[in-house]
Amino acid sequence: MTQLNIPDSEYMYSGHVGCPGCGAAIAMKFALKALGEKTIMVIPACCWGVIAGPYPQSSLKVPILQTAFATAGAAASGLKAALDMKGDTETTVVAWAGDGGTFDIGIQALSGAVERNEDFIYVCYDNEAYMNTGVQRSSATPFGARTTTTPGKGWKKNRKKNMVEILAAHRIPYAATANIAFPEDLIQKFVKARQMKGGTRFLHVFASCPTGWRIPSEMSVKIARLAVQSNIFPLYEVKDGIDYTLNYKGDRPVMDYLKIQGRFKHLNHKDIEQIQSMVDEDWKLLLRKMNHNQRG
Amino acid sequence: MWESMTTEQNFAEKIPLFISRSNMSTELNKTGSWRFVRPIYDEKTAPCSAACPAGEDIARIEMLSSQGRYREALETILLENPFPAICGRVCFHTCETACNRSGLDEPIAIHGIERFIGDAAVRDNLTFSLERLPDNGKKICIVGAGPSGLAAAYFSTRLGYSCDVFEAGAEPGGILRWGIPRYRLPDAVVNAEVQRIKNLGVKIICNTRATQNFLEEAKDRYHAFFIGCGHGRSLKMNIPGENMALDGLDFLNRMRTEKTESLNNGTAAVIGGGNTAIDVARSLVRLGVKAILAYRRRKQDMPAFQYEVETAVKEGVKVMELFSPSSIAQDGGEYILTLQPMKPSGMETDTGRARVVPDGETTQELRVQRIFTAIGAEPSEPWQLPSKENAETVYLSHCAFMANNPPFLFGGDLTNPTKSVADAIASGKQSAIVLDTFFKKGMNAIADRLNSCLVGNGPALSMERYLDGKRSNRNPDMVSYENINVDYFSPAPRIKAESHALDKQVNPFDEIETTFTIRQVMEETRRCFNCGICNACDNCRIFCPEIAVDLQDAQRRINLDYCKGCGICVVECPRNAMALEEEV
Ligand SMILES: Cc1cc2nc3c(=O)[nH]c(=O)nc-3n(C[C@H](O)[C@H](O)[C@H](O)COP(=O)(O)OP(=O)(O)OC[C@H]3O[C@@H](n4cnc5c(N)ncnc54)[C@H](O)[C@@H]3O)c2cc1C
Ligand SMILES: Cc1ncc(C[n+]2csc(CCOP(=O)(O)OP(=O)(O)O)c2C)c(N)n1
Ligand code: SF4
Ligand code: SF4
Ligand code: SF4
Ligand SMILES: [Mg+2]
Repeated sequence: MTQLNIPDSEYMYSGHVGCPGCGAAIAMKFALKALGEKTIMVIPACCWGVIAGPYPQSSLKVPILQTAFATAGAAASGLKAALDMKGDTETTVVAWAGDGGTFDIGIQALSGAVERNEDFIYVCYDNEAYMNTGVQRSSATPFGARTTTTPGKGWKKNRKKNMVEILAAHRIPYAATANIAFPEDLIQKFVKARQMKGGTRFLHVFASCPTGWRIPSEMSVKIARLAVQSNIFPLYEVKDGIDYTLNYKGDRPVMDYLKIQGRFKHLNHKDIEQIQSMVDEDWKLLLRKMNHNQRG
Repeated sequence: MWESMTTEQNFAEKIPLFISRSNMSTELNKTGSWRFVRPIYDEKTAPCSAACPAGEDIARIEMLSSQGRYREALETILLENPFPAICGRVCFHTCETACNRSGLDEPIAIHGIERFIGDAAVRDNLTFSLERLPDNGKKICIVGAGPSGLAAAYFSTRLGYSCDVFEAGAEPGGILRWGIPRYRLPDAVVNAEVQRIKNLGVKIICNTRATQNFLEEAKDRYHAFFIGCGHGRSLKMNIPGENMALDGLDFLNRMRTEKTESLNNGTAAVIGGGNTAIDVARSLVRLGVKAILAYRRRKQDMPAFQYEVETAVKEGVKVMELFSPSSIAQDGGEYILTLQPMKPSGMETDTGRARVVPDGETTQELRVQRIFTAIGAEPSEPWQLPSKENAETVYLSHCAFMANNPPFLFGGDLTNPTKSVADAIASGKQSAIVLDTFFKKGMNAIADRLNSCLVGNGPALSMERYLDGKRSNRNPDMVSYENINVDYFSPAPRIKAESHALDKQVNPFDEIETTFTIRQVMEETRRCFNCGICNACDNCRIFCPEIAVDLQDAQRRINLDYCKGCGICVVECPRNAMALEEEV
């Protein structure tokens, strides 16, 4: 039996307004267990902007700076600069943005900050669409998914952007993927990121969304786990943009993951085969990168 | 409200900030009102426990053992079965056949854990506390100190009765003592566990054969009777020369009581396919005799436990399947056993065994030095069975009950469709419950009371449930493999106890299989899913997106003020110890 060992400390309040079964809420709960009290969250427009609480409420026990949709990277840079001026070296600045705010509109501010190697952690919790505004497709929406802007036969025919690779190309000190169904791995990566002060650390956290994915809320964690088990969302780390470590090897067909989600319900056998071959191709590429650092 | 202010917040307090700042938590929002389904802690029944004739709470026993809580594991076993060291060795463990873990790899070695706990109890003299009702002044006369009689005494004593057990033999134990050979069940093990019954205050009077007269006289002294005499008389084959064959049960008895028997090598034929036949053949091998087992049906139809059959073959017993004995003759100092070849002709619907008919005219002759018969046994006296004329007799799953004055119960091999040690223990338990209910609430209450004690859908009964222990809250719904969240388990081989090869043993009658080591117990119990019961893994609390699972005094509770009813806890519970219930 796998016995999870998770810190007891809790930095989140009950009573937040995330949907039942929200994976993004679980992601924050785990992340803060690793980050601790000395953390300031920078949250742009996204579901978490709402979950964080309507004014004057807050759902977190740490301070939050709510900011504009495109600005997580810039706002976090500014906040870190302000803390530097005050001589506060202890507090960790964490940008916490959705996939829309990271892959699309926020990529400029993020790329700029990473290029300057700003000292903060950037977290993209990825629910694979613009959920807060009603499930519009983003460049993180996977091939095959239906959203309100890729409805019916117009389901998304483009591949998901590989954000970690974009960050790796910046030669960022630490970039890693994590998943709410693997809390020990997730927490360990957040602890690592917190301790690696001095540059930008990027964490790509897979967070299921029952509402947008049209899945039963109780299956939220199970489906997030299947994404890893089927190699659709591999768990890995990249140090300095070149040094790859794989944390998990999946062995299940993508079919297991796809068939239980409403957003993929329309896919036929051929579509699923096509997705399987894309996943296999990505997986092989990833393994080659793993080998690359072994050689040297 | 904020629980504590961080340094930053205190600092920021002092400078004017022209942005709006929150000053209260979201706990004001009682999001529990969103809920239309409600998670509940709902412990269910593991299939192993329902398949165990003694109804042991196996999921819990494995859980306690995995946590090193051996004393509690022992207490949990003893609630339902007084003989873990014995059953851990000789029980056919139907529990393992039902084990959900087979869906992933191989069943849990439940018997091995049971044996370890049973041995630890004896070796380490583990203290335990057994719930016992106050003396109710009623006395029970028990005939036969086999497992059924001893179990009847054990359970009845715990319900407040005082019990006297009358045994014809020189020592208690029944077949445990004089049937099953020492290489499977050493004397010391039987002694130690029988002592547990004596320690309760049960009187065992040996060398006393009960007769009909004896029972008639005893009616003045006892308020009830339990008859557990077992099957004492061997069945006859009705073939010419039968009297030249030796009785298998007698042979086993001599092996146990006299310990030595010299047979000068040679070959012996054993007729039969049950436990007795196998044990006779394996004992012969241990005496240096070549043993040939002749059985009229196919090997897989043998009523003996298949594992025993395989071990016998490994030890050198030769099996001749589809041969029926037709006569025995003497020739010089030797015997000639004539065998009629048989062939299958269809299947028996009730047993699933092959029906056989003679196959041709040509018979086969076996020339051997000895012939043993072991084709089964029956009660030795008619009074040992409930009288057919008595219309009042109630036939239950593991006993028959006659509400005469005084009431009579019959159990063990006398009544059980499956003749095994664990079924005999079930007889003792069912009889105790039936009798106690009869005295307290009358005849009409018995059926309902028995139903309320079922493990799952039965027929296994739980004494803990009868005594309104914690197990009474257990949902009878059975956990299936599909209900297990196997994401939390990875394949791991079943642990096998070490066993000594026969040819390497100093004394061939020494026990072959060893007891698990602590390490093996740790490994094996960790494989168990703990189907349906909470083992405090904490997954429900870990994954709750609402921080709505509270943990206080090792007790988990859903905070319904905030739980939105997403159901993640229920799915992430690896063992189906929770359920979702519709809100009303
Ligand atoms: C050789 C052999 C091997 C077996 N192996 C296994 C095994 O591995 N696993 C398993 O589960 N089952 C096994 N069985 C079956 C199992 O032993 C029986 O089902 C079980 O012992 C029945 O228990 P019981 O109490 O009904 O009768 P018994 O064990 O037969 O005990 C009856 C007792 O009553 C006494 N008695 C009889 N008449 C009187 C009287 N008039 N007055 C006083 N006392 C009397 C007898 O002396 C005896 O001690 C085996 C059986 C045999 C014969
Ligand atoms: C400049 C700007 N454009 C549009 C919006 C509206 N808006 C708010 S949140 C959001 C979607 C956010 O999507 P994502 O970043 O993926 O986070 P999610 O809601 O899915 O958690 C949008 C489009 C906005 N706030 N600002
Ligand atoms: S829409 Fe999705 S991500 Fe947003 S709060 Fe609901 S479940 Fe969470
Ligand atoms: S896994 Fe454990 S609890 Fe479940 S059936 Fe097997 S032994 Fe019983
Ligand atoms: S998830 Fe773990 S702690 Fe919660 S009910 Fe199930 S077994 Fe118990
Ligand atoms: Mg999104």
